[in-house]
Amino acid sequence: MRVWDGLSSRGRVSFDSRPSDGPIAYMTENQNITRGLLAALEQQAPVTVFDKTSVEDIQLGPPPDSSLSSLNLSSYPHVMLSSKQRIGARLLVGADGINGPVRTFAGIPTRGYDYDRHGVVATLKLDMPQDEEVETKAYQRFLPDGPIALLALPDGFATLVWTTTPQKAAHLKTLSSENFIASVNAASRLPIVDIEYMSTQPDGQTSELEWRSSINPANELERTGAVPRTIHSVQEGSIASFSIRLRQATTYTADRIALIGDAAHTIHPLAGQGLNMGLADSQALASAIIEAVEHGADVGNELTCLNKYNGEAWMRNNRMLGVVDKLHWLYSMRNPAVVAARGLGLGMVEQFGGLKNWFMRQAGG
Amino acid sequence: MYLSTTLSEVPWLLASDVVADAVEDLIATLGETTATPYFIYRLRDAMLSDTTGRRILRDRPRMTSKTIDVARLQQLPENTVGRAFVGWLEREGIEQDSRDNVRYIDDEECAYVMQRYRECHDFYHALTGLPVFVEGEVALKAFEFANTLLPMTGLSLFAVLRMKAAQRRRFWNTYLPWAVTNGVKSKEIINIYWEEQLERDVDELRAELGIETPPDLRETRRRLREERKAAQEKENMGEQRQK
Repeated sequence: MRVWDGLSSRGRVSFDSRPSDGPIAYMTENQNITRGLLAALEQQAPVTVFDKTSVEDIQLGPPPDSSLSSLNLSSYPHVMLSSKQRIGARLLVGADGINGPVRTFAGIPTRGYDYDRHGVVATLKLDMPQDEEVETKAYQRFLPDGPIALLALPDGFATLVWTTTPQKAAHLKTLSSENFIASVNAASRLPIVDIEYMSTQPDGQTSELEWRSSINPANELERTGAVPRTIHSVQEGSIASFSIRLRQATTYTADRIALIGDAAHTIHPLAGQGLNMGLADSQALASAIIEAVEHGADVGNELTCLNKYNGEAWMRNNRMLGVVDKLHWLYSMRNPAVVAARGLGLGMVEQFGGLKNWFMRQAGG
Repeated sequence: MYLSTTLSEVPWLLASDVVADAVEDLIATLGETTATPYFIYRLRDAMLSDTTGRRILRDRPRMTSKTIDVARLQQLPENTVGRAFVGWLEREGIEQDSRDNVRYIDDEECAYVMQRYRECHDFYHALTGLPVFVEGEVALKAFEFANTLLPMTGLSLFAVLRMKAAQRRRFWNTYLPWAVTNGVKSKEIINIYWEEQLERDVDELRAELGIETPPDLRETRRRLREERKAAQEKENMGEQRQK
């Protein structure tokens, strides 16, 4: 993993694992995770999957009637599906994203704000000879608007996550693919002034990159792997963007409700922690449920089960959200004193093995 | 012009050409060494942020007595940039000359930026109409300092200390305020592709850049001189009458 600062020539860190330790972290595409989860579910009978179905409404169950034989489900959330089925839940887990219906039903507010940044994502093919060993490095360069990250995928592909202003993101999406590629190549190697100029031009990024690369040759950096390979092509239809927000639900649980993943919190992508946090949530929730089941307690009850999950996950995520938020502000500053200080900071991380290992463990989740 | 004027500030050194050459060299060196590392990068980045500035950096045109054809410029219509330039040369009684090559800036592109600044200096004179004697030169340097932030241009302002009281008053009251407001509010003058602007209307260019011409310094001086002379004559006449 290579991390460096676009405004300072000194701020540069290389995170390399020792061969005996294996990789620092894995990159995997969403499709693979989804497929893996579905395969795992199939082995866990009996699980019913409602495919191609959406949630239309969530309500509490009806009040109990006078006959003693009926169950009192008035405190149970009931999910109304688009297939007109109705499911009463002892515990309803909301993994339904930032504005999901579960959090709305539970009336749990969120705190946070929008960064006024968009993340531009794309799948790219890197420029490299056929026979060459496939690189598996991740690159992240901090630019004043936000970092640009190129994360290696198998077979010479890479994923782009480029955080930038909504205007610049919209502009990038209007470019021809040659100019889009030139803009990404420029953002990972050229000085800021060139990147900013190119982001104002409707056309001509390719020729600008060619000229500026001849003035600031990056050949040596490319050869040593300090900057990513140039990009050969962009997969058609893979360019997309999303707005970047900081959100934290004030609590992750309510009576018979638990929120996990983006439904509970959203984070700036600069540290690549969104998925890791979601996975850690589900792990913490699962262990709380297992414990409750083993003790014969109600899994939907906050006191007997859910508080354990909330206590474990909320504070941990809050810390991560805070750290990443501060990193965003730190790296969006152009003040030379701040740039020098963070160059010094990255330099220290580069020098001290212990500190570096700790960062690597954090990044890997 | 920039060098000859700075030299005229040190007339005691003009006694010999050898000394003059050494001083010229020294000033060029001072200009280059104070511009690095920060200021020349700022100026280069100002060029890189502008479409025309980038084109100049790509083409790296040089302006010398060979590339600027004074005879051709004289044929241009009245009020064009080219005519204003030769008109200014004539008025000041000087010739377009070639500038020293930049030698003390390592970065090739930054060295070119310094060269370009140096070679365009006379066009700034023509654009503002400021003359080459110390008072005009200092006013132009103040304008350049506000516009380019090159330290050498700021250092030149110490010449104010050696001006006469009346000149100094004019500088503080008229030319410095003009230089600061115009230097700051006008576009970066380094981004003008002069070679392409020669046939343009000079007032149009001034308006586009946001530069107002300061009061005509030569004219002001002439007027003051005449007033003084008239007052003197009057006095003389009075004295004669008393006799």
